[in-house]
Amino acid sequence: MHDNVVDRSKDITILEILDRVLNKGVILSGDIVISVADIDLVYLGVKLLLSSVETMEQLKSDYAVAQDQHAY
Amino acid sequence: MLLHKINMLINNANMDKMIYSIVMSDQNLDDLNAVLACMKGISGSRLYRVSFGDISAVVSNINKADVAVNASNAIEFARVAESLVQQFSLLPMRFGSMIESIIVIKKLLEKNYNEILQNLQKVGNKAEFGLRVIVHSERINAECKAKARAKPTLETAKGKENSIYRDYLSTKLLEHRFEEFWLEYVDTVIKDITNRLALLNPIQRIKKKIKVPNIIDAAFLIEKNQTDKLIGIVEELQNRDNGSQYLLTGPWPPYNFVDITLK
Repeated sequence: MHDNVVDRSKDITILEILDRVLNKGVILSGDIVISVADIDLVYLGVKLLLSSVETMEQLKSDYAVAQDQHAY
Repeated sequence: MLLHKINMLINNANMDKMIYSIVMSDQNLDDLNAVLACMKGISGSRLYRVSFGDISAVVSNINKADVAVNASNAIEFARVAESLVQQFSLLPMRFGSMIESIIVIKKLLEKNYNEILQNLQKVGNKAEFGLRVIVHSERINAECKAKARAKPTLETAKGKENSIYRDYLSTKLLEHRFEEFWLEYVDTVIKDITNRLALLNPIQRIKKKIKVPNIIDAAFLIEKNQTDKLIGIVEELQNRDNGSQYLLTGPWPPYNFVDITLK
């Protein structure tokens, strides 16, 4: 029974991981940090968020279709 | 053979240090060593600890030029914290930050020791869960618009004709009411969730949005032994509200509940 709730979240797990690992957690202050590949991680984070929303939209549509199919 | 070892030591010393997590290691240094020996960092790098007092930073040597900023490396990075959190209280680090030497890491741990300990105590024996609520935004939009339109509009003063200013104000008032009804709806959903979760006594972070499908992005920090109860509550919420989706993820290391910048 519990698996139902967890299963629904499986599809977005990778995006959730990336959202956390790129945007959250302990931060090093700028003057001691060596940024990886000199890439702006904040920008990456924003892109990620956008793709997360798209995924959510897709999930929502899939869910709506599944609900409709159930109804008939 | 000896020369090879010396060369390796020099190379390692010259490499950058990726920090994955800061772990409460007070009584468990042997355990931590044993766990780290079985794990790998990014690009298969060897994990080891740099300790100060009761805390240890889990690090690996890696050249920053070899670390591509991509999903695969970020997931490898996250996997280290995910594995360690099974046995240790820890603070996960944000991906993409490296330090030049072990000496600097030790200084960092020493300088921020009390703050790190406080954060570790806050998250000790707890797990983070994420909850997103996704609604049929078009339906809620339509309902909120209907409610906004049902309220009285600006009255025209006697003897005054309609004007573009009045039309402008009416439109703005309608938009304002529309947003108010959206917020009211989102707040009702949040209240429902928080009331039901209150018995778990969670620490919570809740972001709310209006006019979009993903109206709530929340994180809850609960005692690990309350996990089944949390899942049960979310399941009840989902079963009761067929029009929405409740996406629960976790358990996660406490990414959303570390309030610390290491200086």
